[in-house]
Order: sequence, then C-alpha cells, then structure tokens
Amino acid sequence: MNDFDLVRKNLFRRKLRASLMIVSILIAFMIFGVLAGFYRAFTAGEDAAAADRMITVNKINFTQPMPIAYFNRVKAVEGVRQVTFANWFGGYYQDPKNFIMALAIEPNTYFDVYRSEIDVPPEQLQAFIRDRGSAVVGEALAQKWGWKIGDRIPLNSNIFSQKSGGHTWDLTIVAIAKGKAQHVDTNFLLFQYPYFDETRSFGKDTIGWMILQTTSPENNDRVAKTIDAMFANSTAETSTDTEKAFGKAFAAQFGNIALIVLLVVGAAFITILMIVGNTMALSIRERTREIGVLKTLGFSGPRILTMVLGESVLLALLGGIPGLAIAALIAMALRTSLANIAPAFAVSPTIALQGLALMIALGLITGIIPALNAMRLKIATALGRG
Amino acid sequence: MRSLWLQVAAVTAINLKSISQRRWLSLSTVIAIALVVIVLLAFLAMANGFQRTIAGSGADDIAIVLRAGSQAEINSTVSRDQVRLIEDGPGIARGSDGKPLISPELYLVVDGIKRTTKTKANLPLRGIGEQGSELRKDVRITAGRMFSRGSNEVVVGKALLREFEGLDLGSTVSFGATRWTVVGVFEAGGSVFESEIWADLSVVQSLFNRNNIVQTVRARLTGPAALNELKSYSDNDPRLKLDVKSEASYFAEQASQTSDLIQKLGWPLAIAMALGAVAGALNTMYSSVAARATEIATLRAIGFGGFPAFVGTLAESLLLAVIGGLLGAAATYLIFDGVTASTLGGNFTQVVFDFKLSPWLIAEGVALALIVGLIGGLFPALRAARLPIVEGLYAN
Repeated sequence: MNDFDLVRKNLFRRKLRASLMIVSILIAFMIFGVLAGFYRAFTAGEDAAAADRMITVNKINFTQPMPIAYFNRVKAVEGVRQVTFANWFGGYYQDPKNFIMALAIEPNTYFDVYRSEIDVPPEQLQAFIRDRGSAVVGEALAQKWGWKIGDRIPLNSNIFSQKSGGHTWDLTIVAIAKGKAQHVDTNFLLFQYPYFDETRSFGKDTIGWMILQTTSPENNDRVAKTIDAMFANSTAETSTDTEKAFGKAFAAQFGNIALIVLLVVGAAFITILMIVGNTMALSIRERTREIGVLKTLGFSGPRILTMVLGESVLLALLGGIPGLAIAALIAMALRTSLANIAPAFAVSPTIALQGLALMIALGLITGIIPALNAMRLKIATALGRG
Repeated sequence: MRSLWLQVAAVTAINLKSISQRRWLSLSTVIAIALVVIVLLAFLAMANGFQRTIAGSGADDIAIVLRAGSQAEINSTVSRDQVRLIEDGPGIARGSDGKPLISPELYLVVDGIKRTTKTKANLPLRGIGEQGSELRKDVRITAGRMFSRGSNEVVVGKALLREFEGLDLGSTVSFGATRWTVVGVFEAGGSVFESEIWADLSVVQSLFNRNNIVQTVRARLTGPAALNELKSYSDNDPRLKLDVKSEASYFAEQASQTSDLIQKLGWPLAIAMALGAVAGALNTMYSSVAARATEIATLRAIGFGGFPAFVGTLAESLLLAVIGGLLGAAATYLIFDGVTASTLGGNFTQVVFDFKLSPWLIAEGVALALIVGLIGGLFPALRAARLPIVEGLYAN
C-alpha cells in the first residue's frame, strides 16, 4: 500500500461526508465554468480584434450616420491599407422577434478586411459581387433557418422602409460564410449596400461605420488623427479608434458584468472554501490518534503534511473536474439560444486550465491548516487524546 | 400527548444550547447560507429596480405611436404627413385652445462619459414637441429652467446627471459640430425619462438632418378606453400602418426583456449555490448528530422517543438557516439597496436605475434559506431519530 492508497482510503472512510464535499466543490466549479465561459464569450470581440483594424464612426455616437463620400477620402489616407463600410439594417425574419444581425456592406472590400475571420469560397464571393440582390449568410444563421444557396428569403427591417412603402427586401442567398476560428460568430447576414441604398426611402448616401486596416499597427495613431482631423468642423465629425478599444467600450455599456461575475464566483468560492475547510479540519481532528500511530511507525512530519494536503487536493479535483465538464455541457446546450448576446459561449482550454489551478489552490488552502496541525502533533498528545 | 411535546421542547432546547460547542461548523453553515441569499437578492434587487424604473414610466392614458414592427423608439420612423393624420385622429384629448395634446418626438443616441469608468456610453437625446413635458407625469424642473423653443438648449434628467459627467447645469456639451447649453435639470418621478436629455424637436431635426421625420408620436387620450379608437383608426388608414400602444404597455414590454434576463441569471445561480450550501448544512448537521450520539442514545434509553430527537435536530438546522437568511438579507440591504447602476435598455441607450430590495424579495431570500435548512436538517434528523440505542451509547 503506497501513500496514495492511504490518501484515497482516508478520504472515502466517511463516504457520505466525502460525497457531500465533492458535490459542493462540483457546484462551485460548475458556476465558475459557466460564468467564465459566458464572460469570455461576452468579451470575445475584444480578444478577437485585429491589432491593425480600426473603426471610424460618427463622433456624436456610432448610431449616427456619415456621408458615403467619406469612404473615398479615407481610402486615400496614407497608412490605410484597405477600408470598407457597413450599415446597420435592423433585420428580422418573418417576425420581429426573430432578430437577425443584418448589415448592408460594401461588397468588394468587406471580405478582404475580415479575411482572417470570415471564409467565403471564392466562386461564391464572385457570385455575391455580381448579383446586386444577393446575400452572404453566416453558417450558424443558415443552419438555424435551414437556408441553402439559391434560397430566396424575405428580410424585414425594423428601421428602414422601401421607397415603394414596404419594409421587406427579397434576397437570394449565394454564399455561406464560415468562421475561421471558433470564436467567430457566424450569425450574420450581409447584403449589398448599393442595392440597399437605392431602394431605401430615407438616409440616402449615408453609411453607418467604416472599418479600416492600417499598413501596420504602429501607424494606428497617426491614421486615426489624420482621419478625424480631416472631418473636423464638418457636419459629421468622426471618431476613429482601434477595434479593440471600440469593442471594449461597447461591452462596458452593458454594465459592469466582470464585477458581477467576480462577485458571484467569489461568493460561491468563499462558501465552498469554508464548508470544505471546516470539514477537513473536523476529519483530521477525528483522526488525531491515527496520526499519532503513523508517527510512531516512523512517518515523518513532512510526509504526513503531504498526505493530508494530498487528500484535500484530491477532493478538490474529484469535485472540480466533473464540475467543469458539466459547465462545458451547459455551455454547449445554451450556445444557440444565447448566440445573439454571447456568441461562442464555451468552456475553453484556458478556462479549464484556470479551473485546474483554482482546484489545486482550493485543495491547498483548505488542507493547509489541518495538515500543519497534523504535522506538528506530538505523539504523546495524539495517543493521549480521545 | 402533552409529555411528547415536553420531550420535544426539552430535546430542542438541548440541541440549540449545544450549538456553541460546534460554533465554527455552525458559523460556516450560517455564512454559507447568507452568501447564497446575498447572491440571489442582489440579482433580484437589480431586476426589480430596473423593472420599477421602466415600468413606472408609462401611463395608461398616453398613446405612443411607432412604425409597425419597430418595437423600440430608436428603430421607428414616422413621417410628417403621418403626424398630421394622427393629430386629427379620434380619442385624442385637446387643450383649452382646442389644439390636440400630442408631441412628435425624435429619439437620437449621443455619447456620454460615465463617471465611474470614464468610458463612452450611449445616451438618449430626445427632441420633444411643445406639449412634450406635459405628456409625462410629474415632470418638474429642479434647477435652472426649461429650454426655450428654437434654441440650442437642453435640459437633462436627474439620474443622467448623477451617472455621467460634463452635463452639469450651465455647461456646454457638443454633439458633433454643434454646441448645446445645459439650462435645466428635471425630475420625472424616478421614471426612465430621468435618464434622458431633452431639447426642442425642430432644433434637433435640423441639426441632425432629420427634417420632416420623427420617430414617435405621443398623444394624451381622452381616457384609457380611447386607445382602441385610435388603434382602429390607424389600422384602417393605409397611409398610417403604425403601431399604436399605450405608453404603459410599451414600457412593460421594454422592461420585461432585460429584467427577465437578470432573473434568469440570478435564480439558477442561487439554486446552484444553494445546493452547495445544502451539502454544507448536511455536513454540519450530520456532525451535530454524531457529536451528540451518546446524548441522544442516553435520552432514548431513559424513555425519550425518536420524534423529539428528530424535531430537535431539524430545529437546529432551521434556526441556522433563518439566521443565515436574515444575515444575508441584511447584508444585501446594506451593500446593494439604493446602489445606482446603468445598463443598455431596449432603446440601445443607457437606463439609470437603483437596486431596490422589497419585503417580498426578502421573503423569497429567507424562503430559499429555509429550504436549504430543511433539506440540510431532514436526513440528519432522521438518522438521529433512528439511532440504535446500544450503538449510540458506545459511540465514543
């Protein structure tokens, strides 16, 4: 029988108590996994932001439009490698509840700027550029509604109306876009800005925002200053910022999610820490006499310290690993329904590693006091007690 | 029968008095339960505060007219011709001068800087018609004055002033190339309007290039029942095609989405944590039973029944739970009640609201604590009741 067997046997001596502690730990790590996954999905845009990508919006607010004439002027700015633009459409399918993230985009440049994230087969892209009334649909969205290439779908807008008075644009799906990485959300529909602009009843010749790519991240600052200075004192002043800063500011608008997550995970952890710590202390106290016997048999203090710590770490792992696994399952189950608020909701390898580190920390913290007590225990006291 | 209750009372008293012997274990259970209650109540207070702010904003006798299918003001567009048609619609109250009491409004999003985080956030700038402020209940200018018609002047809501910088009375704010002066601060009975900036409709229209277009029309109805008249008038005129809702139901819809989300987050979290706390409570109570095994067996040996032992253990568990629940509620009240927060509302703009705890929410929190105590005490109590006497006497 080696030390590990001893640790295992000690832990499960009181099966009920051990199981209860495992359940509490499991729940703590389930909460951790779900919240961390949610938080990560929430801030995914921020992490995924390319360093050389910047966003130009109307200075008043990003929901205000700016003239389409800005597009060509920005294109000419030195240090800009590529620029494209998009306009929010406020799309829905059949019922206003079926919100669709739909954008009217500049067809020739948009996919170039996003080439590191979005993958559209070249021949499908050509078909999109050729056909004014066509649309590119993200894989996840196509799957959700069972759309295929060649389908004609009516897209409604809750903002815009057509010159003819209707609120519906008919589009032909000619391309399905795939995400190039797991964090890329493919719940989108993109269609041609020229077609949108000539059919809408108001707001003609204005665009929502421009996305530009600089020749190198070092030029970001200079490019931003040049662009904003160019339109200063005009009717539509601009504000240019890195994609990352823009995404961060946007996420911050939902309120302080990070704080809430920290608060809840913190509260759950303190709760579990206390429960497990107390119970560990209790179970070691019960075994005082045995520890005395072990010491009499020649077990050194440090060896006993390791064994007690091993017991608490094992306990944390036994609860924590399944907890994280359940969190991963929950994330998978919720991914589609939360696609609009938190795309790519998942327990990532990073989160799993962080969880593992936390488990070990939890085990060490809860075990350290009983372990030290056990190590310091004098044989005479131990055997004399009880 | 009487002797049974005496037994119950005696054993319960022994149990409760002996809690101090297990003070650390008991304390950890109390704190665990308190934390569960804090998390639940913090979420519920947040949802409640949000709900109250928004749902409290609408009146039954005010109609709000939006473009069909637009759902929120920000998405809506209503043309000048449509505004004229609504003015002549049935069911709309008229002022002493015979003019209809309506306010065409333009709702725009501008940037503000949050005091706490110094980050940009979406603020609503509302261009209101002449009757705009009379169409909202309890609007009162608390400092300065109302903006004058046709000028670049704005008044700001009290809540907005608290949360965002640069909007103080007398200061100048620029939206794009235009500068505006803050000439007044208004209160609106704690409603969502206190999170808005108001200016004259025609000035906003011309400076933001939205001539001839508004987003919504608010109208005072002759009574709540007049809503249907206006609705069918709009439905029957092909030039209108507008959604007519009472302001109350419009805001109720807006509030339910976000507060549902908060609650949907809060309850599962609290329940998951409560399961953890149940495990803790079970541990505590099993230990309590184990520690008192000799005592229980002795009582049984001298003629006490199993039932008093059961009740005594359960009572101990419930007492710990109630203490934990009340402690959690008190802590939530001290930490969170009245805390101001803001988040994106249905109109894509910041809504400033306060966390608001209510007696009903506290009752929900304490009920959750009691459930934890009940489950955590039940099984150990059964064990105490069934403890074999001989084994108990030799327990140590």
